[in-house]
Amino acid sequence: MTDKPMLQVVDLTIAFPTAAVVDQVSFEIPQGGTMGLVGESGSGKSMTSLAVMGLLPREARTTGRISFMDEELLGRSDRQMRRLRGDRMAMIFQDPLSSLNPYYTVGFQIAEAYRAHRGGSRRAGLRRAVEAMDRVKIVDADKRVNHYPHQFSGGMRQRVMIAMALVCEPELIIADEPTTALDVTVQAQILELLAEVQQSTGAGMLFITHDLAVVSQVSDRITVMRHGRTVEQGTAEQIFSRPSNDYTRQLLAATPRLDDQVDLPEPILTPVGSEDS
Amino acid sequence: MAVPSSAQLEEVDGQAPGGGSKPPGASALKTILRKPSVIFSLAFLLIVTGMAVFAPWVTQLSGWGPLQFDESAVDSSTGGLPLGPWGGISADHWFGVEPQNGRDIFARIVYGARVSMLIAICATALTMLIGVTLGMLAGFAGGWVDAVISRLMDFLMAFPALIFMIAVLSAVPQGNRPLLLVLVLSLFSWPQTARVVRGQAMSITNREFVEAARASGAGRMTLVFKEVLPNLSGTVIVMATLAVPTFIATEAGLSFLGVGVIPPTPSWGQMIAQAVPWYASHPLFFAVPGIFLFLTVFSFTILGDNLQKVWASGGRS
Amino acid sequence: MISYILKRLLGAVVTMLAVIFFTFIIFFYLTPDPAASICGDACTPDTIVQIRRQLGLEEPFFVQFWAFLSGIFVGRTYGEGTAAEIYCSAPCLGYSFQYRTDVFDGIVDRLPVTITIAVGAAVLWILSGVAAGVISAVKQGTWWDRGAMMFALAGVSLPNYFVALVLQYLLVVQLQWLPFPAVVGFTDDPTRWFQTYIMPWTVLALMYASMYARLTRTNMIDTLGENFMRTAHAKGLRPAPIMLRHGLRPSLTPVVTLLGMDFATLLGGALITETVFGLNGVGRWAYNAIGTNDQPVIMGVTLLAAFAVIIANIVVDLTYTALDPRVRESTK
Repeated sequence: MTDKPMLQVVDLTIAFPTAAVVDQVSFEIPQGGTMGLVGESGSGKSMTSLAVMGLLPREARTTGRISFMDEELLGRSDRQMRRLRGDRMAMIFQDPLSSLNPYYTVGFQIAEAYRAHRGGSRRAGLRRAVEAMDRVKIVDADKRVNHYPHQFSGGMRQRVMIAMALVCEPELIIADEPTTALDVTVQAQILELLAEVQQSTGAGMLFITHDLAVVSQVSDRITVMRHGRTVEQGTAEQIFSRPSNDYTRQLLAATPRLDDQVDLPEPILTPVGSEDS
Repeated sequence: MAVPSSAQLEEVDGQAPGGGSKPPGASALKTILRKPSVIFSLAFLLIVTGMAVFAPWVTQLSGWGPLQFDESAVDSSTGGLPLGPWGGISADHWFGVEPQNGRDIFARIVYGARVSMLIAICATALTMLIGVTLGMLAGFAGGWVDAVISRLMDFLMAFPALIFMIAVLSAVPQGNRPLLLVLVLSLFSWPQTARVVRGQAMSITNREFVEAARASGAGRMTLVFKEVLPNLSGTVIVMATLAVPTFIATEAGLSFLGVGVIPPTPSWGQMIAQAVPWYASHPLFFAVPGIFLFLTVFSFTILGDNLQKVWASGGRS
Repeated sequence: MISYILKRLLGAVVTMLAVIFFTFIIFFYLTPDPAASICGDACTPDTIVQIRRQLGLEEPFFVQFWAFLSGIFVGRTYGEGTAAEIYCSAPCLGYSFQYRTDVFDGIVDRLPVTITIAVGAAVLWILSGVAAGVISAVKQGTWWDRGAMMFALAGVSLPNYFVALVLQYLLVVQLQWLPFPAVVGFTDDPTRWFQTYIMPWTVLALMYASMYARLTRTNMIDTLGENFMRTAHAKGLRPAPIMLRHGLRPSLTPVVTLLGMDFATLLGGALITETVFGLNGVGRWAYNAIGTNDQPVIMGVTLLAAFAVIIANIVVDLTYTALDPRVRESTK
């Protein structure tokens, strides 16, 4: 491992013809580290993540720098970004049901991500999909690989999304509100899974959420955004114990305190994978 | 990147339309009135409607009535082809004459517009009346009323409508053809309207303002006329605008097949049918009514399409 | 799944019976005396009565209806016990006294031409309509899109008999690029076969292609806005699989649904195209029957059309079930 950050965002500004949505945002993620990007709707946090992935709408204009493993991403061609996406950096979205195509089996969709970058036969792709599903602890992966998204529960679908993100062993995972659409108990399981995955693969993670309570469980460092600007940045501990900004204080007041959270009973850990069928 | 606008995520959230259609703002209507296609359509329809309404005066101006024979305009030695180039177009006969009897095509177009428009508009009115009434009845009453009406709609929509119209029209004896056409056209068309109205009625009943009105003790009928009908007006206007061209086209098609308007009353479809044997020697005979038919249907379709877009976007456009 | 199919089939049988009944009422009550039209010019009151007897027209309504209905399943004999006895074998849709032929046989004889026109047109309009719709959706708002959609609106508004006359006048009479259409077998003379059918295909396909282009475009634009499209991009797929696999596939389900219905109602369009191009199919037969007031033929073709629609309804539902995994599950 080097000291170099794996992802470095410097003075990122994103403007649409009508308005600027992100204004001079900077942060970095060290190798294997996690950055929590926190803010309410419209704060520009999702736009920031899409900019990293190169998925902004065509009409968006971006300035600043985004360097990933010492390579500059802004200004790259579609084709160059495409090679990176899904291979070296992968994204997990908020609503797993609508983010999966209802017309194809989950196995096909996971294999598709693999084969787009590594090639290989359909069969080999499916084998990879089963492995990835095993890793995210989907029981009976070899059978469920042939099921369609609607046959899974919310938490299981998000596991499928995570499996899809993992299948090429990316260096960076971007999770955009991955637990927001889920039940509280399932949320905990998914967060746990993400942490495990990160540990075992050593991937860096950009974790986007509006929920400080959630981010406190996964992130070493936190960036608070509002109206497209960075409001506050620091370690999780700094932000929680000594918020320097009024807005951060408001956000904190609106969420259960970190110490409250510790007192919460341990989430009843149902055997993983039994939460649904 | 060609990523769809959904990538704008939370930025555009909360604008999801709440079912049903809001009346569009005056500004939205103005934007479509500025589109060249809409202007041309309106202008053309104005001309055709004017021709239809003032048919007797128009033909007085042009000099020939729709049923008047002009044997001097055709050449008996060629089997009755019009004299002169371009199907006998002259200062006398603006669009030329029919072969053999020399009837003035312009006059027949003018009177044909009258028949086509009258039938289409009456059929639209009747369709909307039946469709809206039964659709609202089904949507509000629910229960067995809804079940009966819905079954009937399914049944009628499962019919091959054109073939059935032909069957009905060919089976029944002569009599008042235009009236019969209106009835037959409406019979097979109201279910489409009723289905949409029923759906909207059902969603409107559940909206707050109707519930509020109901809570304040408004009678069922007051509710329907004061609250619900105005909310449906947009849908009805759009559907009516799109129904008119369909009826014009269908009437013309039926007349073309010989089961619609019966000669000597002129109708565009029937004029084209009469021109079929002459299509090679006198192409203008089918081209003139064909072009009028096409442009009229096209204009109505453009209008309807634009209105639909305005209403669908809730007046944003 | 099997119980679902059975339920649908039962519903279809009920609908079909209702259609037969309805059709029969139309032709029983509304028609001017068919005997008179069969009889023709040289007709005496005696012959009319004789024909009426032979057709069973003297019987009460339900007896006649029963004779017709049972005829469909077991065949029937017209003018039983008379010298001019005519047997119409099952499925008997009626007997045309003008053509001196069993209506069902008449339809079967002419069906190949109609089916050739219908299938060819369907292939043409699906390919062109869907392709135009997809390109328009992908290039939404460009000149191509606007032009294609304006063209599609025009296509919907063009009466097919008018297009048929224009094509025939331009391509056959004026430019002489094509010979006059004449029915030939594909194996006899493939070139001639193609030259004959290309105009009917085009005419019939034009309107449908326009409708399909508009529908595909709308669906495709909706699909392109779906979250799973974003996922597809995020996976780093190439543009072609993104558009075709993820964009087009879900957009096609409603198109397939529409296709089944349209294919069934094509008979109306075939009637017009066959007539204008002088091709001897079922449609043209029905058209001629209208002219000569040959009720059994019109009625037979009507029933055939209704039957086609009802069958298409079921096929569409089943295809839909096969196409959409979500529906597939719920009907298991």
